[in-house]
Amino acid sequence: MYSQELITGNGLTLSEALRMGGITTLTGLSIVFAVLVILMIVLMLFKVIFYKDPKKQAVKEAKLVSLEAGVDGPTAIYVTEGTEAPDDIDENELIAVLTAAVAASLNTSTYNLRIKSYRRTDNKMPAWNKAGVTETINNRF
Amino acid sequence: MQNTGFYALISSGGIDAIKTIIMLAIACVLLYLAIVKKFEPLLLLPIAFGMLLSNLPMIKDSSAIMMHTEFFTDPEYMTDGKYINVGYICQHGGLLDLLYLGVKLGIYPPLIFVGIGCMTDFGPLIANPKSILLGAAAQFGVFFTFIGALVLSALVPSIYFGIKEAASIGIIGGADGPTAIYVTKTLAPSLLPAIAVAAYSYMALIPVIQPPIMKLMTRKKDRMIVMEQLRPVSKTEKIIFPIVVTIVVGLIIPDAVALVGCLMLGNLLKESGVADRLANMAQNELMNIVTLFLGVTVGATATASSFLSAQTIGIVVLGLVAFCFSTAGGLFLGNIMCWLTKGKVNPLIGSAGVSAVPMAARVSQTVGQKENPSNFLLMHAMGPNVAGVIGSAVAAGVFLAMFSNI
Repeated sequence: MYSQELITGNGLTLSEALRMGGITTLTGLSIVFAVLVILMIVLMLFKVIFYKDPKKQAVKEAKLVSLEAGVDGPTAIYVTEGTEAPDDIDENELIAVLTAAVAASLNTSTYNLRIKSYRRTDNKMPAWNKAGVTETINNRF
Repeated sequence: MQNTGFYALISSGGIDAIKTIIMLAIACVLLYLAIVKKFEPLLLLPIAFGMLLSNLPMIKDSSAIMMHTEFFTDPEYMTDGKYINVGYICQHGGLLDLLYLGVKLGIYPPLIFVGIGCMTDFGPLIANPKSILLGAAAQFGVFFTFIGALVLSALVPSIYFGIKEAASIGIIGGADGPTAIYVTKTLAPSLLPAIAVAAYSYMALIPVIQPPIMKLMTRKKDRMIVMEQLRPVSKTEKIIFPIVVTIVVGLIIPDAVALVGCLMLGNLLKESGVADRLANMAQNELMNIVTLFLGVTVGATATASSFLSAQTIGIVVLGLVAFCFSTAGGLFLGNIMCWLTKGKVNPLIGSAGVSAVPMAARVSQTVGQKENPSNFLLMHAMGPNVAGVIGSAVAAGVFLAMFSNI
């Protein structure tokens, strides 16, 4: 199927090298693209089958976190998160964590607090914090 | 007295003695690069030390010789002149001969892929399926270098690269060490040491090679693009993904299954969550042991006769060409995607399509952040990055399917 010159490389002419290279590149790249395009389509189907759009759910849940601390009276708290909570995390767990965090920072008991609602806010990471994250990533080179 | 290395060095005669000394010097330079410059030390250090071990001057037929490359390349030692004689190697081989069987029989690279699979998170890819195309575009360098190697062979009289050698050199552009070794041990075993050293050295140099090409091929305005946050990916998707990929790749290119299948096995061990012990073992102990064996034995195949040639220089040059064009291929498609989506895709993530995980993605992140300090491209770049691993394994499968039976 392949000439002796192509197999050994000895006595190979430029035109033959380019012809063989061209054919291989065309077939090879098309196969690579074909396989990955099929995988892309499968992954797009994944989104249709498994993914529930959180925006629709988020509309219902977009509320403020407010709490009733025994002495201080009602205070509004904005809870900021870096990533969205995946669907399969129990909301009760999240509320328990939020309650505990607020209780710890206010130095009071969780019994004095009631989380009424919570909502994501924009990422307002301080400059120093950002610099730290950048440095950590760069250090790993 | 006649058993000493000094005697062997002097008795081997002028040119051979000088070649031995040059090889020992190269081994020491590679050790320096690994230890002081920290170039992929986990692989380069064993490779360099293997090179040192097998190039120590020894008397012919000494029982102290650890590696006999002739057992694997010289038809005289083979069954029917083409198959390695495992029985003979077991009886007469040294330690490194026995360990090298793992490379020659294609055992180590897939086992390393199991470990890599355990450490890979395909989440960013599942969340943004289009980024898989960037992993395909970055294989352009592989095929471009294939042409380059054939052209070099046609133009330079002392370099002979046939299609098998050209394919092995091209796969350096996949930026994936185990894949390059897997292809080369099948198609062009005599080039294995030069290709392995070139592949791993250039992978270590990715932060130096890629940024100038990235700046050259993208506009400042596009480099500053902040991409939308990725959607969350459920556990079910992450579990189904490796199974589906294995089936799809297996149906289209069976030759790629050894690599892709093992990668996905490792990933399933991790994502399923029911085999944590196996996943821990694969990504720690197994991977470390195999990496050591692979590195030392691949280094040990670098003897003066196979390594000190015009071909090695050709491979080093073509390896760099392969890396540059793979980066350019990814960036080219990145630019097209940026244009088609009207500026929603930052073209810098295209260069992460070369598979060197996670180095290439970190380069995208760093270059992007220089233009826009509040931009975090890392997770977006991980999608093309892991797609590149699949892409280069598929490209390897294509070469194996086309050329392994001639």
